[in-house]
Amino acid sequence: MKNLQNPPRDHATILLVESDSVECEKFSQIALNEKWLLVVCQDGLEAIQWLNDNTSADLLIIEEDASPISGYQIADYIKTELGLALPVIITTGEIPLQQERRMLAYAEAVIKKPFTESAVVFQIRKTLEKAVEVSPEQNDHYSLNYLIDLSGNDKQFISETLELFSSSVNLELQNLKQVLDQKDYLRIREIAHGIKPSFDMLENEKGKGICHVLNTEAKEVEMPYLIDQLNSVFNNINNQLIKDFPELNLR
Amino acid sequence: MKKILVIEDNPMVIKSLEFKLTKDGNNVVIAQDGREAMKQLKETEFDLILTDLMLPFVTGNELISYIKKHTPNTPIIVLSTSTQESIIMEAFNMGVDDFITKPFSPNELSLRVKRLLSKT
Repeated sequence: MKNLQNPPRDHATILLVESDSVECEKFSQIALNEKWLLVVCQDGLEAIQWLNDNTSADLLIIEEDASPISGYQIADYIKTELGLALPVIITTGEIPLQQERRMLAYAEAVIKKPFTESAVVFQIRKTLEKAVEVSPEQNDHYSLNYLIDLSGNDKQFISETLELFSSSVNLELQNLKQVLDQKDYLRIREIAHGIKPSFDMLENEKGKGICHVLNTEAKEVEMPYLIDQLNSVFNNINNQLIKDFPELNLR
Repeated sequence: MKKILVIEDNPMVIKSLEFKLTKDGNNVVIAQDGREAMKQLKETEFDLILTDLMLPFVTGNELISYIKKHTPNTPIIVLSTSTQESIIMEAFNMGVDDFITKPFSPNELSLRVKRLLSKT
């Protein structure tokens, strides 16, 4: 492992797992320009070891085909086993949309190679900003744009629909837990299909993406983690709604 | 006032469809599963049916067959998600008239509904 730079402590620390030396040098130059501390690890296992020894990382950037364990598996391990809320960006070559959505169930963003410097800087800044607590006025958990457009900003309709989101999705997530215990994987896919539009209507791409993956392509072994993630997304939305609309009957 | 049967099980989608279609001047009846839909179809004559294809108790194919058998002249719009291409194609082969992707665009819904209602 090598520490490429040594900027002041108040700058973001980024862990990088990248086997291509040219790409690595590009990241290094970007980090230098942006005054980010870049810690380059040989592989995902070294990144996990670094995270065990240090607690100051702000972001992990890892290639999808990292050896010996893939990028999304490392992201999964860090979040579930280490319990770290560390944002992750996965780098990859050109991939189908479905595969990208699958990765987004594990990571905050995907960067496709070859990348431009400006695109990488934009994505890293955006991901780092997202990791900071968001304000009620501008949050990343939900948007009312669709409901406003649909109803002509009818306040009663919007309030009732938000209450419906809270109650109906909460109920279906409880059902998901039950059918997971029963190993009824077909029913899991059906429920995910059914609640996908609810996340879509509040413009939450992550919730929508997880539902899509659960519905279409998730392996049975991946389902417990994805359902946990979906619960977490729902709780984030619901908590934000409770904060923003204390007058509503939200669970 | 035209009578529309909405067959859908997602409460938020139901509420949105009910709001928009009612605002457009229609009389909307909701069925949240296939059995309820069949019951409604036996009791009432509708000008248009909007239906999901993944519903409790009855498959999409069974439901479309039932509608086509009992009210062959009632136009059908399928409410779909983008992942259901093969199911939608099969529904078209069974005689459905149009489809709308969920969550629907409000203007698109109005236009598609009006177009089919103008033929009834």
